[in-house]
Amino acid sequence: MRGSEARAFLSSVRPNRHESFLAYSHYRYPGVAALLGAASLVIYIADRPYGTRYGGTWAGYILGIAGAAIILWLTWFGYRKRSYADIDGRLAGRLSAHVYFGLVLLIMVTLHTGFHFGWNVHTLAYVLMCAVIASGILGVFCYIRYPRLMTENRAGMSMQQMVGSIATLDEQLRVSAMPLDENSALVIQRAIETSAIGGSVWRQLTGHYPDCATAAAIAHFDSGAAKVPEWAEKDWAQVRVVLSEKASLLQRVRRDIGYKAMLDAWLYLHVPVSFMLLGALLAHVISVFFLW
Amino acid sequence: MEVETTFLTRRGNAVMRRSKHIEARRIRIGRGTGNEVQLQDIRVDLTAAALFPRDGMLTIQASGPSPLLVNGRSTRSAPLAPGDEITIGPYQIRLGEPAPGIDAVLSVELVQPLGDTLARLTSQSGLRLEGRALSKRGVSWLGFLFIIVVFLAGPIFGYFFGLPPFKAGVPPLSGPSATIASLWEPGELANSHRFFAANCAICHQSSFASVPDTACVACHSRDRAHAITATPVGGTQKAIGTAQCTSCHEEHRGNHGIVIADSKLCLRCHATLAETAPALGVRDVAGFPDHPQFRVTLVADAAGPRLRRAPLGNGPAPEDRPGLKFSHAAHLVSAGFPALGYKPMVCADCHTREPSGQGFLPITYNGKCAHCHRLSFERQDLPWPNGRVPHGDDRGVAAAVWNFYAGKALQGGMTQTPAPAPAVLRLAPGEAAPETGAGLPATGASSWVTAKTEAVLRTIVFDDKRGCGYCHFGTGPNGAFDLSSILPVGPGPPRQAPGRIVAPVLLQSRFLPAARFDHAKHTAMACEHCHAARQAETSGTVMIPEIATCLTCHGAPKATSRAESTCISCHGFHRAAHGSALGIATSAK
Repeated sequence: MRGSEARAFLSSVRPNRHESFLAYSHYRYPGVAALLGAASLVIYIADRPYGTRYGGTWAGYILGIAGAAIILWLTWFGYRKRSYADIDGRLAGRLSAHVYFGLVLLIMVTLHTGFHFGWNVHTLAYVLMCAVIASGILGVFCYIRYPRLMTENRAGMSMQQMVGSIATLDEQLRVSAMPLDENSALVIQRAIETSAIGGSVWRQLTGHYPDCATAAAIAHFDSGAAKVPEWAEKDWAQVRVVLSEKASLLQRVRRDIGYKAMLDAWLYLHVPVSFMLLGALLAHVISVFFLW
Repeated sequence: MEVETTFLTRRGNAVMRRSKHIEARRIRIGRGTGNEVQLQDIRVDLTAAALFPRDGMLTIQASGPSPLLVNGRSTRSAPLAPGDEITIGPYQIRLGEPAPGIDAVLSVELVQPLGDTLARLTSQSGLRLEGRALSKRGVSWLGFLFIIVVFLAGPIFGYFFGLPPFKAGVPPLSGPSATIASLWEPGELANSHRFFAANCAICHQSSFASVPDTACVACHSRDRAHAITATPVGGTQKAIGTAQCTSCHEEHRGNHGIVIADSKLCLRCHATLAETAPALGVRDVAGFPDHPQFRVTLVADAAGPRLRRAPLGNGPAPEDRPGLKFSHAAHLVSAGFPALGYKPMVCADCHTREPSGQGFLPITYNGKCAHCHRLSFERQDLPWPNGRVPHGDDRGVAAAVWNFYAGKALQGGMTQTPAPAPAVLRLAPGEAAPETGAGLPATGASSWVTAKTEAVLRTIVFDDKRGCGYCHFGTGPNGAFDLSSILPVGPGPPRQAPGRIVAPVLLQSRFLPAARFDHAKHTAMACEHCHAARQAETSGTVMIPEIATCLTCHGAPKATSRAESTCISCHGFHRAAHGSALGIATSAK
């Protein structure tokens, strides 16, 4: 497909205004999922076995097979969303389906268990599924909240722009601090060389930078303002202003990093637990038929 | 001093030079603008060092806090010679050969450039989580493999290598095997099976196959089948014949699934059994309390013995024929009896509970009746009380009487009893003379014994109103006692009676044999709530209550104002009368 054709196709399938993945296509997927959930409930109630309801009645089999199929389909989304060569452009739609079918699994699989729980691989699969869904719900909340906050925080700049501006301010500081005394120069040097942006996982997520050299520099310049000799006042003030600019930029950047980290962190739970779920699901299905 | 300073800048192989001529007494080197040689880098002190002649030699002296290196050695002051290298911060200053008219030639080079600020900033920043923490892929693989190994591969390996808990044929295990077994358990076992919960192989004898009936019957060999299949019963036969233990008994449901109380299971066949299998004579049941009226099993003929089924409820009251003359009403009079101290009798005086409390011990003459109803035929005793006939021994009766009088005769007690009458017979006209020796003068003790024996047998023991006839019927016509087989009593002990003189008695302990009523669960009730004993004047009265009596307390499953009752509250599936439960239906045996 050539570029112009691709663009035409994309504009036909992609809406012009932003449409949240939760409301995709006039809430099509919540509707389908709700129908599935209602159908599960009807099947569960319609089944009146002689003993107790559990996963091996006819209703249990239907719910279990449907649930397993949905789990596999949901996992497949993780692969599909990376196939960038596929220019279908409907990732938002697939995400919407992923979220809502994932939620309806809670109903379907809980009914499949017949509310029998114990310390065994079957309940393990169920618990892992609930953990996956919970982390997914966390992800949904992150994606509802943080993109807007990021946009507002960035105020039109990109990350590269912000980091570039900080580098420029560093250069300015280097020049402005030339006429200053040794201590101040040392402080400024440290502020330039050890700019702490991001860092470890903890630092990125919490945005807590206790030994930020820029903040230390600001403190030094504020506390020493009274003792500045008259000839150095202008330089002192100049440096102080640049430091403030850098500090404000640093805060923006760090906040942006924090938001981005939150948008990524939940996936570190969601993906590994999904694969553990696949393992437990396999063990559950095989063991049930192994010792029939 | 005249100093020629050259600032070198290298770019690749090219070198750019910028020279500056300085004339000053002292050459100050530093960051500040007042210095003769200004090094514009923040890493240099404001005034780092000073260069001046001393004692005819060029000397350098450090004037700032940062270290000064001369030829690699840190010093505060040192004399210089051409070729020396001074390091101040990131700069290296080389002293060259002085030219004519120039006191010093310096070449200054920045040997540690700051580099690209942005690149440095970016490289020392951690902007993304990616690469910082454990990778998603690694953790995913780790988690997946852990679960597969522990929960799937491990138990399967154990199964095929016969490791506990898959080791067949061992006594019940415990310990770690129990933990491994519980990994695959979908639910707890029923209480009575938990002692071998760690031995999966006892029931699960092959993989991908349900538990076979032989596994159950290995222990439950005394459980019986449900139906006899000699009579073809159509679709029901197939359903019963092909059902397995696991069709109805679900394990791993805690205590719920092993015995299924749901009536729907039974009604699947019993709702239409009268149509599908009329030969069985089983009525349709719609459920409970939509249950047919009770039918009692009564004795039709105690001699056969022959039983019959009769419905209770409206209609003529059925009659039982146990072969005994007994009136409950007569025994339960309020005045009581002298032998019992005039205390009125109660049910428990005769009906003793068996240890489980479900039913009652059989009523025997010796146990219950003998205390009041003595079988004495003679008031006098030998030196020991002995004038009684044995109960239930038709042949021994005549012998007992004869023995008593023989004993009396041997003792010489003849003189105390009325002597035989003289041999004068008074006969009415036309009456035939008796041919037997009864009443004729006899001689000696033996004839006295014989005469007494006959008289007692005829008039006391086998009398219609007293003696055996008080409670029993005879085997003769109309229930009369036929004594022709033991009378006349000739000289010597009486003949052994070939048949029975007293008709057999059959007292049933169960009138509803298809049901299982537990008296122990009903101890709070009075006997007469269900059994109208005070109105039972003959033993033919059936005192089993009809279904309406039960319905006063018992109701449907899920009833809230009655006791919940399902089919198995009263009925059992596995019938004791039938063969082994292997294959739920059996051929007639």
